[in-house]
Amino acid sequence: MSDDIKKYLDGLLQKVSGLYVIQITDRDGVPLLRVSQEKNVDFALMPSFIPTFTTACDQASKLGLGRNKTIISMYSNYQVVQMNKLPLILTFVGAENCNTGHILALEHQVDGYLEDIKLAVTEA
Amino acid sequence: MEQQLEKVLSEIAARQETVGALLANRQGLCLGTKGDIDPNVSGIGMAISEQVAKLEPNNTVPATICLYSGNKRCVIQKDGEITGVIFKQQAAASVTAASN
Repeated sequence: MSDDIKKYLDGLLQKVSGLYVIQITDRDGVPLLRVSQEKNVDFALMPSFIPTFTTACDQASKLGLGRNKTIISMYSNYQVVQMNKLPLILTFVGAENCNTGHILALEHQVDGYLEDIKLAVTEA
Repeated sequence: MEQQLEKVLSEIAARQETVGALLANRQGLCLGTKGDIDPNVSGIGMAISEQVAKLEPNNTVPATICLYSGNKRCVIQKDGEITGVIFKQQAAASVTAASN
């Protein structure tokens, strides 16, 4: 199961130019799956990175605009797109000029592949 | 602020056989849509135009991409920072006439 998803995510990494890392974690930031290009993006592994997203997501959900689904963070050298797929969090790290719209369009495609991992995380 | 953009989109959407039109920025994010078109197409449309641009890197004139699918067409053109995606659908009567 995990191999299939890894292969699929590797394919996505090739398709979206400028995308460095795709990471699946649980809501506490425990890494479940990670695929990356040769370029090493260390900050995506920082222990505080994912829990901060969870907190920001919870706060953003209180704005009265409905449940927060995605947070896009633009930095000088990178962009980070994080998707709330509770109990999972999907993190994409790319170059600052990476096609954000393309990453967002992947959301629905990835859903089918996440079901098995979601089930495993819920049962654990 | 986006009145000018909406005006352009309305003009495109009013053209013959046009079903929907969309404009995307350089990040592939949708700036606006008109008609029957999914805003999520903006990212993929821009990705296609970027890949096509790589075919002739020395060409300064932006390429126009036309994808045919049955009686539908998708026209994509990147001009500077803006990418336009237009969905067209041939009317049923003209499809029959063309096949005869």
